[in-house]
Amino acid sequence: MSPAYILKRILLIGYTLLVVSLIVFAITQILPADAAVMMLGENATPDALAALRLKMGLNDPIWMQYLHWLAGVLRGDFGLSMRTGQPVAPAMLEALGRSLLLALFSIGLMLVLAIPLGIIAAVRRGRAADLGVSFLSYVGVSLPEFVTATLMVLVLADWLQWLPATGYVPLTEDPLRGLRHLVLPVLTVSMILIAHVSRMVRSELVDVLQSDYIRAARLKGLSNRQVLFKHALRNALLPTITIVALDVGYLLGGVIVVEEIFALPGIGRQLIVAIQARDLPSIQAGALIMATTYAVANFLADVAYAWLDRRIQYD
Amino acid sequence: MPSIHRRDFLAASAALSGLAMSGLQAFAQTPRRGGTLRVSVDQAVSKLNPLVTRVNPEYLVAELLYSGLTRLKVDMSAEPDLAESWTNSADLTEWTFVLRKGLTFHDGSPCTAADVVATFEAILDAKTASPARQNVGPIAKVAAKDDNTVVFSLSAPFADLPVTLAYTNAKIVPAAVIKGGLEKLDRQAIGTGPFKLVSFEPERQIVVARNEAYYDKARPFLDKVEVVVFPDVSAEASALIAGDTDLISTTPPTEFGRLQKASGIKALRVPSGQFCNVNFGCDQKPFNDIRVRQALALTVDRAAMVDFVTEGFGSPGNDTALNPAYRFYADLPAKQADIAKAKALLAEAGYPKGLEATLIASDRPGQRTQLAVALREMAKPAGFDIKVETMPHATYLDQVWKKGSFYVGFYNMQATADAIFSLLYTSNAAWNETRWNNAAFDKLVFEARATADEAKRRALYADAQKLMYAEVPSIIPAFFDLLAARREWVEGYQLHPRGAVFRLDHVSLGANAPKRG
Amino acid sequence: MIEILRRMLRSPQGALGLVIVGFILLVVTMGPWLAPYDPEKMAPLMRYKPPSAQFWLGTDQYGRDILSRLLHGARATVVMAVVATALGTLVGAVIGTISAFLGGRSDEAIMRTVDAIMSIPSLLLALLIVNLLGKSSLNALLAIALAFAPGMARVTRSVALAVRKQDYVNAAIARGESAAFIVGREMLPNVVAPIIVEMTIRVAFAVMLFATLSFLGLGAQPPASEWGLMVSEARRFMHLSSWMILWPSLAVALVAIGFNLLGDGVRDALNPRS
Repeated sequence: MSPAYILKRILLIGYTLLVVSLIVFAITQILPADAAVMMLGENATPDALAALRLKMGLNDPIWMQYLHWLAGVLRGDFGLSMRTGQPVAPAMLEALGRSLLLALFSIGLMLVLAIPLGIIAAVRRGRAADLGVSFLSYVGVSLPEFVTATLMVLVLADWLQWLPATGYVPLTEDPLRGLRHLVLPVLTVSMILIAHVSRMVRSELVDVLQSDYIRAARLKGLSNRQVLFKHALRNALLPTITIVALDVGYLLGGVIVVEEIFALPGIGRQLIVAIQARDLPSIQAGALIMATTYAVANFLADVAYAWLDRRIQYD
Repeated sequence: MPSIHRRDFLAASAALSGLAMSGLQAFAQTPRRGGTLRVSVDQAVSKLNPLVTRVNPEYLVAELLYSGLTRLKVDMSAEPDLAESWTNSADLTEWTFVLRKGLTFHDGSPCTAADVVATFEAILDAKTASPARQNVGPIAKVAAKDDNTVVFSLSAPFADLPVTLAYTNAKIVPAAVIKGGLEKLDRQAIGTGPFKLVSFEPERQIVVARNEAYYDKARPFLDKVEVVVFPDVSAEASALIAGDTDLISTTPPTEFGRLQKASGIKALRVPSGQFCNVNFGCDQKPFNDIRVRQALALTVDRAAMVDFVTEGFGSPGNDTALNPAYRFYADLPAKQADIAKAKALLAEAGYPKGLEATLIASDRPGQRTQLAVALREMAKPAGFDIKVETMPHATYLDQVWKKGSFYVGFYNMQATADAIFSLLYTSNAAWNETRWNNAAFDKLVFEARATADEAKRRALYADAQKLMYAEVPSIIPAFFDLLAARREWVEGYQLHPRGAVFRLDHVSLGANAPKRG
Repeated sequence: MIEILRRMLRSPQGALGLVIVGFILLVVTMGPWLAPYDPEKMAPLMRYKPPSAQFWLGTDQYGRDILSRLLHGARATVVMAVVATALGTLVGAVIGTISAFLGGRSDEAIMRTVDAIMSIPSLLLALLIVNLLGKSSLNALLAIALAFAPGMARVTRSVALAVRKQDYVNAAIARGESAAFIVGREMLPNVVAPIIVEMTIRVAFAVMLFATLSFLGLGAQPPASEWGLMVSEARRFMHLSSWMILWPSLAVALVAIGFNLLGDGVRDALNPRS
């Protein structure tokens, strides 16, 4: 991995974001309704509309509007929300913070559960444990977030009343209640991740365990345990990193649905609210921030992969 | 389901006893001062500027921070607010309001007749885009006679002015602010209301604290009010049940049953003139034919509609805009479904093989779609083939509202009969959605608003209702009851049938209320 | 073909997948005839009923029979997802093949742009597209197709690159055939098999995505009995009846599990690695 490679990747991120910004801007601008009409709603009068259009620069040619917007974005200014009249950027970043909290807890839970599950399944290949893990992972991968979430709310919140169904309490305000509100969203989001990653770990580990290199290690007289933890696991986990990074895409999509269902005011929910209210600046900001997060996650995964890969070769 | 007559009685008695009940409470115990009330709302409070607020949670906050000249009591009559008294000329075209002395805004500056004049001029200026412009009455000119006296000259005789001046958006703001630009009120509040703004997070929480300089020394009773935004109605109900909040400003029927069962909670319900309707474009084919409109109205099973649309928390409508919650309601025979007659009318109108139509429903609130889907099924046997099309509310406002020929509407109760008629059904209505443009109806409404005599007005409004009943400019199949809930320790709160009025300065907390920051 | 089927039946995933998808196809084709009631028939006195002998799965907020609605809704849910996947695959395959054929800088530019579009999560991209086109089943279908296209373009390109190096393509270029002829007649047919495998796996994802869009109110619209929409509508009435929300959720899950199993079965059958 050379500096040139990293530089190239960073330039690619730049290009990616430029394309994304164009797409997002184009999609939101061709929306079939004038932004000024949206803002004034029932009280729109021709005079009020004209004044607002002028103020918002809606009379400028579209490419000027794009450049204006892009210049603002580069300065971290996404404009004012049409719904609340507040600056979009701080609200979205705050929401992103809540989403990241959800994502981090979910990834944490995934790591704690998925890797051991994958190992157990691989080591006990073809036996009951393996089949059980396989079955669970099929179910996990196949259930859309809104189904998982709905079923969990039904059972854990409605019937058993163990956990609150929806809502959000900042951890800073009341850590215990905050955590209780996070349990169901985290379980929902991590479900697909756990299912996916445990399957991945299993199949990689199965391959590695059958490789000549491991056979050689066994022949050297190393115990199963040593073989597994010293040699096999390291090689098996490497491809998993890429998968985890790719899963960030799923994760972001899942976060949209999960936040909507659990009324968690993260970036996904803000985006849905913005879409419903046709709040263009918020839609643009939300979509761009999400795409950036994804691109950066992929980049970090690539770099981490390349770095770890080299270390393993020299090991 | 209780019969209409019982409802009628409930509405009337609730209206009449508004005063008596608060008197009773005062007799039982004087309201305790102090404490923090946590009230929840179901939408963000996006707009703080009282002249342009548009949704109920925004009205709730505006009411805490600002005052009008008059305010609306639970029985829909006007009581003094900043104005301590008013008089009118015999022909009802000139009204004089006398302000209280020594009024001050939250920033300490005095509030005088000049501020009132500036406020109403801003409201009447189309550029402000204030909903009040079309709802405060036929005001031609506002002038300050002296520091404490304001004279309204009207373009037509109008009996309801004190009530319409209590309109949600007709709140007095400083003349200096209007001059410097109303944007100043987007983030801060400079009013004369019972509370002052402490913090404002539109999507999360708005906190206000007692205004020590409020004109009434007794009120407000509370030290602080926290308005908490819950974007999810289920979470909102759970929070009240858990005791995290004290009062839900409004709750849907789907959560109401749960609240009724919970301990320590008083579920509140009041009949209201809020309704959901099906608007016809009376100037376009096929609904310009009165027989088509009557035929569709005849397919509606109104009792079933109350169940489908309000979950039983409502009352059947008769296609007139008034129900028993309004003062000038006329009791007409309840409309019954009659498919055979509907078919005959449709054939007579030239559609013997039935009629296809697309009914548009915005997705907010959900009741609109429910009404549309239910109507589609009810109208099928008579030969109507209705396609339901749902769309986002913003798109609906832009493309369908006031333009479409067949769509679902949803309206809050208004303070007076005149307000609802001239908002929706007269030819010069602000939102002339049906384009019914019925000269006889216009004349009745116009005469009634120029009439001070109660009995004469009642007769005029009864005739107006009969016209709507017969000609069906829109199908009004059901009215909603308003639903809310409070903890038992919340005292002095009355659920207001208008839906947009809350009067939280009359609320106090009982001795067993939890202490909050 | 028979051999592939036999191989699929031998693996537990493949066999189970075939059974479930077969059952789903049966419901899709026969559903409306199997349904005991009219799915839109309302009954004011029969609202929110739990499962019973009369209504096997209970009734909804209008007193409609949930089983009948599920049986009718299968088409809206499954067929739409399959068509969306096919459409997305087609668009992606064309882009990928063209890119591979052109090679060099054009290839680089097309693929970088595809990568850029792929960095928008598919649900988000679909949301934006539906938002632009307006919400309806058809638009949701288009949105999913467009959201799938970049991924399919990538897969196709890598396969097509291998094909590009084959002699028959070089021969066609030497003959002076037009680019359209080479892409359409020589290259596309030879990249079809691997693409079909990828497609099967993606159907499961499309079912989930389509139901999710409907759930968010952006796909099918009432009174349709699309399953995602049924879950979404039932959510409001959860405190009045839980059955309404349970059945369509399970139905969506079953379809997604079925297609996932089938997709894995097909893949294993086509490249017997282990």
